[in-house]
Amino acid sequence: MLEFIGRFHPVLVHLPIGILLLACIFILLSSKTKFASFRPVIPLTLLLGALGAIASCLTGYFLANSGDYEGKLVSLHQWMGIAVAIISLFLYVLYVRTKARVALNCISIFLIVLISITGHLGGSLTHGEDYLTAPLKSGGGKNQSAIPAIPNIQDAVVYESAIMPLFKSRCYSCHGSEKQKGKLRLDEQDFMLKGGKNGPAIIAGKAEDSELVKRLLLPLDNDKHMAPKEKPQLTENELTLIQWWINQGADFKKKFKELPQPANMKTVLANLANGNAGITESKVSEIPEKEVVQADVEVLKKLTNAGITIVPVSQNTNYLSANFINADFDQPILVLIPKVEKQLIWVKLDNKKVNDQVLAVFGSCKNLTRLSLNNSSITDRGLMQLTKLDQLQYLSLVGTKVSMGGIRTIAKLKKLKSLYIYQTNIKPTDYANLKKMMPNLTIDTGGYSIPFLAQDTIVVKAPAKM
Amino acid sequence: MTRDELNAYRLLKEAQQANAQLHSRRHFLKESAMGLGALAMGSLLGGCGSFFSDKQTKIAYDPAHPLLPKSPPFLGKAKSVIYLHMAGAPSQLELFDFKPELMKMDGQDCPPSLLAGKKFAFITGVPKMLGPQATFAKHGQSGALISDNLPHFSTMADEVSFLKAVKTDQFNHAPAQLLVHTGSPRLGRPSMGSWVTYGLGSENQNLPGYVVLTSGGSFPDAGKSVWGSGFLPSVYQGVQCRSEGDPVLFIKDPDGMNRDLRKASIDAINQANEQQYQEYNDPEILSRIAQYEMAYRMQISAPDVMNINDEPVYIHEMYGTQPGKSCFANNVLLARKLVEKGVRYVQLFDWGWDAHGDNPNNSLNIGLKNKCRSIDRPITALLLDLKQRGLLEDTLVVWGGEFGRTPMMENRNGIQNPFKGRDHHTEAFTIWMAGGGIKKGYTHGETDEIGYSAISGKVDAFDIQATILNQLGFDHEKFTYPFQGRPFRLTDVAGKVIKEVVA
Repeated sequence: MLEFIGRFHPVLVHLPIGILLLACIFILLSSKTKFASFRPVIPLTLLLGALGAIASCLTGYFLANSGDYEGKLVSLHQWMGIAVAIISLFLYVLYVRTKARVALNCISIFLIVLISITGHLGGSLTHGEDYLTAPLKSGGGKNQSAIPAIPNIQDAVVYESAIMPLFKSRCYSCHGSEKQKGKLRLDEQDFMLKGGKNGPAIIAGKAEDSELVKRLLLPLDNDKHMAPKEKPQLTENELTLIQWWINQGADFKKKFKELPQPANMKTVLANLANGNAGITESKVSEIPEKEVVQADVEVLKKLTNAGITIVPVSQNTNYLSANFINADFDQPILVLIPKVEKQLIWVKLDNKKVNDQVLAVFGSCKNLTRLSLNNSSITDRGLMQLTKLDQLQYLSLVGTKVSMGGIRTIAKLKKLKSLYIYQTNIKPTDYANLKKMMPNLTIDTGGYSIPFLAQDTIVVKAPAKM
Repeated sequence: MTRDELNAYRLLKEAQQANAQLHSRRHFLKESAMGLGALAMGSLLGGCGSFFSDKQTKIAYDPAHPLLPKSPPFLGKAKSVIYLHMAGAPSQLELFDFKPELMKMDGQDCPPSLLAGKKFAFITGVPKMLGPQATFAKHGQSGALISDNLPHFSTMADEVSFLKAVKTDQFNHAPAQLLVHTGSPRLGRPSMGSWVTYGLGSENQNLPGYVVLTSGGSFPDAGKSVWGSGFLPSVYQGVQCRSEGDPVLFIKDPDGMNRDLRKASIDAINQANEQQYQEYNDPEILSRIAQYEMAYRMQISAPDVMNINDEPVYIHEMYGTQPGKSCFANNVLLARKLVEKGVRYVQLFDWGWDAHGDNPNNSLNIGLKNKCRSIDRPITALLLDLKQRGLLEDTLVVWGGEFGRTPMMENRNGIQNPFKGRDHHTEAFTIWMAGGGIKKGYTHGETDEIGYSAISGKVDAFDIQATILNQLGFDHEKFTYPFQGRPFRLTDVAGKVIKEVVA
């Protein structure tokens, strides 16, 4: 019950802060005759502020006793809060009794300073110590890597160079020296192994059984998921790092090179070395990050009436997907496409006659990420029109006449992730070359066959006797 | 007045009354009071995606163009779905869920702990346990266990995600099938394909958005309701096509009717319907007009896409099709062609998986093996063919039955069945999904050592529906349709996206 009342502290504190600041400003101003009319409200404002401060102190005390908070910062905040309450009450009595102008003004100024510091300490407790100044530091506070770049990664100590900075930026604000949510501290080895309410945070060698990892991997909408939903989340790289470190014995002294490094750690290590571990991999989105202006409704209507399936790829974006399944390329359509060239990102031109003119039109839709040309009439010459599509991630050329020569012209498309070339003029002997030319690409050459097995034709029959 | 005139008069009266009510003071006060209350409620309950908030997914329903494509609320990985339903419920214990412990118990009496308080469709008294009637091996890098009943599909182990702990609460075919496809074991709810086409429309306006293909010589037990549109506009019900003869019955113009005359008659009918619509404003009339127009276009497009004869020989060999006949393989090949042509949802039913052991065709050692042979090549070919055409990335393939089968041998009326067979079982069965943003080579969920009940990673029909909708870009909790005074959703009040299998 007391803890419940305590939780009103963060709401309640704002009342005395506001009211007392106002009262102090009134006191300071009302010493000028011009603002003398403020005087009558000053006692009431002061009294309300003082009462608010007392209530805040009480709730704050309950909250501090709930066990999640401990440390210097809390006791400092507590005593300064109590000071605010006492001084404001004293100020009220003084104002009602004496009206000693100079003393009142001095105490008011002192109170303003005291409230500001107390408030700041409270904010630091809730949001973490460097919350206020973080945006001023390099990186502007946002999308900042939790782990600074580690140039000589193999010679660096795992805990010191990677794990600790990560915990510091993502965990300490609630599980550090000032605050211990769930009675857990993650800022020192002993505390980690001792753990919190639910037992040890980490079990060396067993990432799956470690409470820390379990919580990190819970679905985001689970109440027990860490970091809390509204706080910055750990990235895939960071999660892999923590799991690897625990599985390798959670050693606080060893260097990277002293621990075995399985395949899935290779990219993580590379990212750690250049400080990119904080970038979420899956963010290579199919939709460009920058939103685009809405396409002209009239143009869309005309295209739809021409039998083209054209809609935004999802309700929260203006980027468009278009399927020309029932449309013919006549002049009017080709004139309309450039009007949506910024918005088009997915285009399907399967089974279409795509001459150079058509491809030139689509070749200048620079935001295209997916392009399907299955069984269309595209040739190597046509592919040359597509060299400017540097956002392209998916290209399907199944059943077309393109050959190795044409593919070479699009080899420079850096973002390309998957390429489908089943039933093209690219010969099986070229596949090895192709792989070498575009090593990061998933190339599906198709042509799968399913072997014939005896079992395919044997019909199982019931024994005759039955 | 004739009876028809009387009916028309009554309808008109009712419409006038309804219209008058909308303009009454009482209506205004009631609506505004309720509206304010609802607003307040909404802000109070806003956090949980309640019915009162405006967080519901908005679907723009245009009755005159019901199948025009629409955007999903968020970016989905899948654009179309192929659902392969093995009607009758295949035995997970002979296909994917290998239980060596069960082998040891083969022939023993079933322990009473497994029977206490349980009800089965046919088992009575104390049945004997029945060991796996197939040989299993690990396949692919993922090491998925697949039996020798599916030698070809075994090579696909690294393409699919297995859900091995699916549960249901229905042990009869029809209600269980309805639950899987409509979210309710009782009749009247829209099927998943209807929801999907209602929410997304279709890429191809010359074909239905939701096609149903059946094989195995019989309809699924739940009948056509299992692809019905329920309370959604009727245009979203599944269109059943045939792989033998005309793809759709009466699709050809009768002798003496040329296409111009057909067009003229459809135009005339539509004009009459249009007049009717002006009078009654019933959106179903617009749907009807749209359907006539689509039917006219389909006369040209459907025979083309539904004809598998022009596929090359190696494709026929790959799928193991039997052109000219009606079979599962033909339907699977058709499913690929339809998805290629922009059809949103293709639902296949293959009947004949109900291996009770009461006759040879319903036994684990004879009938089941034959059924497995008839699907093994086609499902393997489907995954490979979609893959090589670049379609598996955005086509979600789901395979499964409506429930599982018991680790006990069925003893109908207390007497051992003449052939090896298993009874209906609700507590655990296997379903797999592939493509459409689903993890490759992954297994979720586990059953106990005899495969009787699920012990981890339990999922149910609602979870699977939620996952399918999620892959298409819908939050299943917000995708609703107002009916009888409340918003309905496919997953009713349950369902959780199975995040473990989402890539």
